[in-house]
Amino acid sequence: MERLERSFYSKASMYSFIVVVVLFMLMWIGTGQFSHMDWMLFGYMVSSFIFFIGITVRLTSWIMRPATYEVLKRSIKNMKTKKRQKRNFKAIGKTLFDNIILQKFIFKRGWYRGIQHWLIAWGCIGSLAITFGLTFGWMHFKLINAETYQMVVFGIPTISMHPDGILASMIFEGLNITAAMLLIGVIMALVRRIGNNDLKVTQRAEFDLFPLYLLLAMTVTGLALTVSYKLLSGWMHPELALIHQITVVVFLVYFPFGKLFHLPIRPMAAAVPMNYQEVVKVDTKECAGCGELYSNDDQIADVQQILGNQAFDLEMDNGNKPSDYCTACRRMIRVMDHLNMKSKFGKVSGPVQTNNGIHVPGFGRERSEEFYNQAVKEEVKS
Amino acid sequence: MKKVMYLEFERCIGCRSCQAACRECGGHDAKERNYVEYIDFFESRQTFPMMCMQCKDPACARVCPANAIQITEEGVVLSAMEEKCIGCRNCTFGCPFGIPKFDFEENKMYKCDMCYDRTKHDIAPMCASVCPSDAIRFIDHEEMMELRRKRTQMNLIEGKKPSENDKWQYVPEFFGVYSD
Ligand code: HEM
Ligand code: SF4
Ligand code: SF4
Repeated sequence: MERLERSFYSKASMYSFIVVVVLFMLMWIGTGQFSHMDWMLFGYMVSSFIFFIGITVRLTSWIMRPATYEVLKRSIKNMKTKKRQKRNFKAIGKTLFDNIILQKFIFKRGWYRGIQHWLIAWGCIGSLAITFGLTFGWMHFKLINAETYQMVVFGIPTISMHPDGILASMIFEGLNITAAMLLIGVIMALVRRIGNNDLKVTQRAEFDLFPLYLLLAMTVTGLALTVSYKLLSGWMHPELALIHQITVVVFLVYFPFGKLFHLPIRPMAAAVPMNYQEVVKVDTKECAGCGELYSNDDQIADVQQILGNQAFDLEMDNGNKPSDYCTACRRMIRVMDHLNMKSKFGKVSGPVQTNNGIHVPGFGRERSEEFYNQAVKEEVKS
Repeated sequence: MKKVMYLEFERCIGCRSCQAACRECGGHDAKERNYVEYIDFFESRQTFPMMCMQCKDPACARVCPANAIQITEEGVVLSAMEEKCIGCRNCTFGCPFGIPKFDFEENKMYKCDMCYDRTKHDIAPMCASVCPSDAIRFIDHEEMMELRRKRTQMNLIEGKKPSENDKWQYVPEFFGVYSD
């Protein structure tokens, strides 16, 4: 593995290369050695490749963050442990169902937010699935005779159907259905963002609003295409097709780099019941100060490992770390220490730097420029 | 942002106005993000206010596996991003001050962000604007330094002499959020 890695500039470029090769192979199989490529979809195909490369690069650098790495390391270790299989299975199943498919926790933030996001998320995932399926030629439709259509997936003929049947129209209308879901969700989100004063102070146009406008442009032009050929007998169809393609290309290229990147990181939520808190709100580790249950052993071990890996030295006089105490004790420790009070906890390791360093306050007043120039001069001399 | 948050724990009279003010803040869902607690209930009724120190190198953000805790250009450490937080609670355990709170229902962390929408315009945060005893203050950098010098002198009277390396231990922690 290491030798393979060293033949690339970076981990990210290695994984991107692998992803591109795999996609290309799948395309080769799907399109029957490129015999039935849909050249109309070329723009979509190129941007889909960029989408996957972007996701790979972002995921690679995300996984290399010490905190993410530690959590994933434990997840993989637990997944391999035979004794934990039942817990793993339950954790992943429950997270998939409650957290990702139904997104119950967003409904707890308000039914409006829940419905809004559920429509956006599933409209978006559905559209992406259909788009990738068609652009990479993973599936296409074959007319067997005047009465039957057949869906071909990776070159393997699957279900046949009547072109006017319910199943067929569901599949053909797939993108329209997902686009309609997206449209409703996005309009709900925009209404909330325009009307809600609390959101207005914190939202950022380029981060929170841009993706919504982009989704809006994409769904409106996409649905306009259907309207054009169904109701207006193809009026402006080529122009609309081009505009729609442009919006989709921008969307696919933007996806890995903006707010929407939360999609690929959400599955990590399964790590919580799998590694840490098995049953919601049930803790198992005792606080070293007051004895109250506040966490679990594995999580505290991981937190300390992550902080240690990033050179945080928070060890106290008695050998404990702040994370060995519950939050209330931790607040008390700090305050007693700073008031020079004798406490049962002992002394804390020096102060945590809470100063962001834009000014460096010392005890005296701000130092004169002269002081710094002196230092530079001395450095030059030596 | 030119001003600094400054805390003097022993000025706290335990009225909890700061918590009420915090609950009032837009977007807080009527849940406060700061703390008022007894220092040592068996010794005295002295309380202290506590809120996020907006660390220079925030442990909370460092232990977040989802990278959900963002830091603004002024150095304010924001509450978790709503779409990214996966609800692991690492931040609540990593923070040396015990600040981030966790909402199990909504599956997200929320914490003091020093009323960023106010402080970025040099308006005092909710808690500082209501504190009747000046335990929480939002003041100029110069004024803060003055107060800290006084405190060191007090500590000197008690017979403790700070050196260049440990002088920070002799003055209360403060919020170092300032830029020009
Ligand atoms: C399926 C897994 C997903 C999960 C668990 C998830 C989770 C979340 C959460 C928790 C929020 C914050 C919502 C709030 O608090 O109101 C959010 C916001 C958002 N998500 Fe997702 N998301 C997922 C997939 C997607 C997908 C596929 C898209 C595609 C476009 C998407 C687009 C958005 C947008 C646009 C917002 C911002 C909404 C706003 O402006 O308020 N999400 N997501
Ligand atoms: S939550 Fe804790 S670690 Fe994070 S900035 Fe505030 S005081 Fe520092
Ligand atoms: S609870 Fe949320 S903000 Fe806190 S560490 Fe976990 S993912 Fe990050």
